[in-house]
Amino acid sequence: MVINALHILATGLGAAFLTGLLGEKRNGLAFMITLGALAFMSAVSAGWLVLFAATGAHPMDIQTAGTPPPFAIALRMGLAEAALLTLINLAGLFAAMHMGETLLARGRRAMAVLLVMVMALCGLVLTRDLFNLFVFFELIVIATGGLVLLSDDERAVSAGFKYLIVSQFISVLLLVGIVFGYHATGTLNIDGMAEQGSGAFVLAFFLILIAVAAELKPFPANGWALDIYESAHPGFAALFSAAAASAALFAFDKVLAIGGAEWLPVATGIGIVSFVAGNLLALPQTNDRRLLGYSSIAQSGLILVAIGQQDILGEHYLFIAGGLLLSHAVAKAGLYWLSGFVAGRELTDWAALRQRPLLVLAFVTGIAMLSGLPPFPGFYAKWELVHLLANEGRLALLGWILFGALVEAGYLFRWFGYAIKRESSQTIDCPPDRVIPVVAALLAGWALGFAWGELSGRSNLLLVLPLLFALAFLLLEWAPAWLKNILAIGGLSFWFLQTWQDYDPLRLIFLVIFTLGGAIIFLASFHAHGRRVGFYPSAMTMFAGMVLLLQATDSFGFFAAWELLTIGSYFLILRGKESEPHALSYIVFSLGGAFLILAGFAIASAVSPAPTFALGQLAMLEAPVAPWVFLLLAIGFMTKTAAIGLHIWLPGAHAEAETDVSPMVSGVLLKAGLYGLFMLLMSMGRQSLYGVDLVNMMLWIGAITALLGNLMAIFQEDAKRLLAYSSIGQMGYALFGLALMNHLGWLMALMFVINHYVYKSMLFLSVGGVAKRTGTRAMYQMGGLITLMPLSFIATLIGIIAMSGVPPLSGFGGRWIFYNAIMDADTRLPMVLIFLSGPIAFLYLFRLIHTIFLGQLKDEHRRIKEAPFSIVLPQMIYVAILMGVAIFPGLVLRRVDAYISQFLPEGALNWEGLTITSQYGWWNPVAIMIVVACIFGLIFGWLLFVNRKAQKVKQFNIVFSAERPYRPETTHFAWNFFAPYRKAMGFLVQPFVTRFWGAITDLLHTAGDLGRRLYNGNGQIYAFHFLVFVVVVFAFKAGL
Amino acid sequence: MVHVVMATGFLLILIGFYGALTNRNLLRMIVAFTVADTGVNVVIVSVGHLHGRTAPILDRAVAAADAVQRIIDPVPQALVLTAIVIGVGVTALMLAYAWRIYRQHRTLDIARLTALKG
Repeated sequence: MVINALHILATGLGAAFLTGLLGEKRNGLAFMITLGALAFMSAVSAGWLVLFAATGAHPMDIQTAGTPPPFAIALRMGLAEAALLTLINLAGLFAAMHMGETLLARGRRAMAVLLVMVMALCGLVLTRDLFNLFVFFELIVIATGGLVLLSDDERAVSAGFKYLIVSQFISVLLLVGIVFGYHATGTLNIDGMAEQGSGAFVLAFFLILIAVAAELKPFPANGWALDIYESAHPGFAALFSAAAASAALFAFDKVLAIGGAEWLPVATGIGIVSFVAGNLLALPQTNDRRLLGYSSIAQSGLILVAIGQQDILGEHYLFIAGGLLLSHAVAKAGLYWLSGFVAGRELTDWAALRQRPLLVLAFVTGIAMLSGLPPFPGFYAKWELVHLLANEGRLALLGWILFGALVEAGYLFRWFGYAIKRESSQTIDCPPDRVIPVVAALLAGWALGFAWGELSGRSNLLLVLPLLFALAFLLLEWAPAWLKNILAIGGLSFWFLQTWQDYDPLRLIFLVIFTLGGAIIFLASFHAHGRRVGFYPSAMTMFAGMVLLLQATDSFGFFAAWELLTIGSYFLILRGKESEPHALSYIVFSLGGAFLILAGFAIASAVSPAPTFALGQLAMLEAPVAPWVFLLLAIGFMTKTAAIGLHIWLPGAHAEAETDVSPMVSGVLLKAGLYGLFMLLMSMGRQSLYGVDLVNMMLWIGAITALLGNLMAIFQEDAKRLLAYSSIGQMGYALFGLALMNHLGWLMALMFVINHYVYKSMLFLSVGGVAKRTGTRAMYQMGGLITLMPLSFIATLIGIIAMSGVPPLSGFGGRWIFYNAIMDADTRLPMVLIFLSGPIAFLYLFRLIHTIFLGQLKDEHRRIKEAPFSIVLPQMIYVAILMGVAIFPGLVLRRVDAYISQFLPEGALNWEGLTITSQYGWWNPVAIMIVVACIFGLIFGWLLFVNRKAQKVKQFNIVFSAERPYRPETTHFAWNFFAPYRKAMGFLVQPFVTRFWGAITDLLHTAGDLGRRLYNGNGQIYAFHFLVFVVVVFAFKAGL
Repeated sequence: MVHVVMATGFLLILIGFYGALTNRNLLRMIVAFTVADTGVNVVIVSVGHLHGRTAPILDRAVAAADAVQRIIDPVPQALVLTAIVIGVGVTALMLAYAWRIYRQHRTLDIARLTALKG
């Protein structure tokens, strides 16, 4: 049973009067009445929402004064209205709760104003009468003017006045517009006007529309709003952003209906400019609430774009606009309420939140909702919006939306990085009246995510087992790390056992690496003590993303999985001590790549009528669409594999990560990008754009990446950075192999997938173990550790033998296939580069052994022990695997070889017994192993023999030759070890790419900074901005 | 006649806008806004006016039966009443603000209230 919606307005108004009737001293009672009224209003709205959602009933018109329009005001209640009212009233209720202390101190008048504000917002949503709309707008203005003063910030007074100035201009335009609209149509009813169309009163309609648009705080007519956001009480700022902006958007949508389709581009134009400009201007902000204000402006702009595109959104309109709107409202309210916990106003002050994991979760939920990440409504909405835009060929708009979204994600995640990494001395106390609103927003966010997943008609991500498993770790944060570790390993193994039969050999290899490979690395995680809060949800989200990636059959599933693994890995990387800037550059590059993938899928699906786009359909695309799709997807995937030019995030991200995280993100995660490339090349094959063979381009990129990655690795002093750069080179090899587009090239790329996982995980673990014991990652500060950490030494030795591709280990097999593959291909020049990178790889690998394990032991390292057992154990497993793969490469490769033959039948290998034959030669791993073992044994024995009487030189022996053994680092022989090479080839490793991306970032910041100067704080100038905005929009409309 | 009134209304609006944009004193700005508000009200009334008709009050002078032919449109008049009330409310609020700003900053110069910007 639902209650007449008029009671919502009546309750708000009545309660406001009632508080006025109470005595001055009865503040407690007045507050109870306020909360009660708001709760009742929320309940009534929620009742309607349930009714409409459950029955799908048509909207109902509510007449006042017993008369139909145009003779009396009519209200309308429908699904959208009910949802908005629920949002507004709940926001009002929790805002009142959040501001409880202030309201009680200021007394009943403040409460009455709050009630009027919420009531007026409800009225704005409900009314179908234009003049009534004006009245509610003015009530909101007056109430806002009152509520702004609740702030402790003295500057709020001037902000409120600036708001009143601009609102005076707005109301004059609105009134003039309304009265001429009435004059032309004889009605004030919006639907009545819409029936007649705005043709007869274009100018008046423009005034109405522009006045309502100004309430959305569009760029640049929004200086006043930013001042309010910055200075108002956060409880009110939440209401102002979540409820007032939402109601104004809805009012705009109503008014726009009068003008009809010809006015839609105006909405789109205002929206996209506000979205991009709002985000750019937010970039240089340091004040948290002002930044949130800019983000609100941007988000309103995005919703405005959706409103302006309603002609192509069709039945998805409510889903998209509603998803964006609710996502924004809930997230923004939650974030403003959160800001109430933080004492300082700098973004870095949010580090204080770290004391309370619950608040951090609320923070990250808010940020993910604003950035449109899964599993929140914004993600589904963005997906549909982008697809529909691509369908209609509105690609420029699509590009601007994705650009703005990337900038937004950039500053939001930079902020999150501050919160996680910076220091704060503030202690956070959590009174329940402040915690409840935040928790409510948190829960609402997840609930909306679930609801939108259900409504999407695609898979609901919150019902997908791997993600649920990952999220379940959020509830286990109280448990000790070892328990969670067992669960994580169990979960990965379970998933493997459950699903391995579903996959073809190629995917199976990736599955093994993603699940069992991950599980082996988790063995190393046993070294961690305590609860390790935040580690397991992040790691398991990443693994969930990866296994879902393999499972995905359509573009939506693929993209959702891609975003999940990106987010999860971002949180993982951020855990490293010094990783704040690197995690940021990782997430920005990754999301940029993800957006390209999104755009690629959207453009691809534009040519297929089906609502879901199966990945296999990529194969059926034709020019001119196909090469563009290929290009977008390829760049997206190459961002993940850190191809040269897109690689600058990798070294820091991988090197600064924790000991067990580095192998996860290097050994395992990079393979996701390779999987994407495999999938792409398998389905789309060769593509050319303007006569350029794109696959050939990839070949070159692969070769150059291999060369430069290796070259940069040899000049590193930091062991983990060295390994990270080496990953860039290795991924270059794999990319090169894939782009060869022949049978052996792919086989070799796959061999790299396996090998790189094994030896890079192993090396990261052993180097990580060493770094853990020595307390440094700089190689020249180590030395002589061979006797103290023998197992780590063995792992490193085996690792570099395998990696450098010398016999007898699996790296050699990789090389052998590789060289055969090259013989098959027709491109010779990039091959020279690839050949060149082989010996370079040996140079840096050699340093790992030479500088860390050989040479003189440093004084301070004399008491060092072997790395913890849990870190050594996986390394030993890897040694065993490497040996196994080296002797029996056929175990794995044979089946894949057969599988690849489906796509590229030419040049398959011949597997007979232990011998593998290609058209150029043969390879018998066992024989090679025996030969190498014999030669090694002979030489080793001989060396032992000739050195049997040698005197062991101890460290202090050389003191006798007048040399101090302990020297400053810069004169250490291992520092700048390859200086001569640097002289010769250093020009190749100048940080051109880093400078390029740095310049782009600076450019964006400068643009944002220049834009900010518009807002010089003068209220008159803000009013002037508004008038300029009116003129510009008018000129834009006239020019259409 | 109607057009003269309407033109006067618009002129008042423009004067009000001009005054609000050029006067830096808060009180002068508020006065300018009341001028603009008055202009709006004049415009509204002029829009509702129909030549040769009487006030929309149904009494002995105008019978309900032929009211539709004899009275001017009552709706704009009702709108003006509401608009005046709202205008008074906003003006009062602005004056209260001005007083508070003066108490806080000892100035009424809008150009000096720029602590918040960028």
